Amino acid sequence: MFQWEVIKFHPKNFKEMKEFAMIYRSETMGEIKLTPEGTMAVSKEWENWMGGIAAQNKLVSPGMRLGNEGRMVKPGNVVTNGPYAEIKEIIGGLSIFRAESIEEASEWAKTCPILNAGGNVEVRDIIQMNG
Amino acid sequence: MIFRNDFHPEAKYTPDEMQNIMQQWQTWMGGMAAKGQLANTGTRLGGDGKTIRPSNVVTNGPYAEIKEMITGVIVVKAGDIDEATEIAKGCPILNAGGNVEVRNIVPMGSN
Repeated sequence: MFQWEVIKFHPKNFKEMKEFAMIYRSETMGEIKLTPEGTMAVSKEWENWMGGIAAQNKLVSPGMRLGNEGRMVKPGNVVTNGPYAEIKEIIGGLSIFRAESIEEASEWAKTCPILNAGGNVEVRDIIQMNG
Repeated sequence: MIFRNDFHPEAKYTPDEMQNIMQQWQTWMGGMAAKGQLANTGTRLGGDGKTIRPSNVVTNGPYAEIKEMITGVIVVKAGDIDEATEIAKGCPILNAGGNVEVRNIVPMGSN
C-alpha cells in the first residue's frame, strides 16, 4: 500500500526534476458523514487528479492518507491526544511529486480536489537523503 | 510521524553541532530499523514552501503553524498508536524543542 521507495525511479530525461511534498489540510470532518455516493464522488475526483499527474510522469508517490487518530509528543515527555491543532485544520494526507521548480509544483497543486472542499495544499521542497 | 520545529531559516549550526544532530537521528532511526519498526525513512523537507488555497490564492513560505513548520516525515510500524507514541518519545527533535505528531495511516483504496 505504501510504496514511495518502490516508485522512486528517475528516468534520465527527468534528471533536472526535483521532488516536492504536497501536504493536504482541511477542517476536521468530525461527525460529518458523507453518503456512499458522496464518498465515491470525492474518491473519483482524487483518482482523476492523481491519474492525470501520473500520466505526465510527475507522480513520485501517491503517499498516504491519514486517519483521525493522533498524539502529540513534546519535550519533557508531554503527550496530548488528537492530531496537531493547526487552528482548525489538520493534515489529511501527503504525496510526492516531481517538478522542475516549486512554481511548477504549485501549478499542479492549484488543481487539487481538496480546494473544492475548502482545504489547502502546502508545497514543500524535499532535501534528498543519501546524496 | 510528522516532525515540527521552530521556523528559523537563518539558524546556522557549526559542523560539530550538525554532526552531533545527525548522529542523534541516525542512532534513533537505526534503533527502530533494527527492531523492524521503520516502515519508511521518509522525507526531510527544506525551507522553501508555497501554500495553495481555494480560488487560486497562493502564499509564499511553508504553511504557517503559529511559528512552527514541518521539517520531515517518517513511517513506523507499531501495534497501535500508543506503541508508536512510545517510539516517538525517543525522537531527537525533542532535544531541540521540536515536537512529533503521530498519526494513523489509512490504507489506500479504503473509504
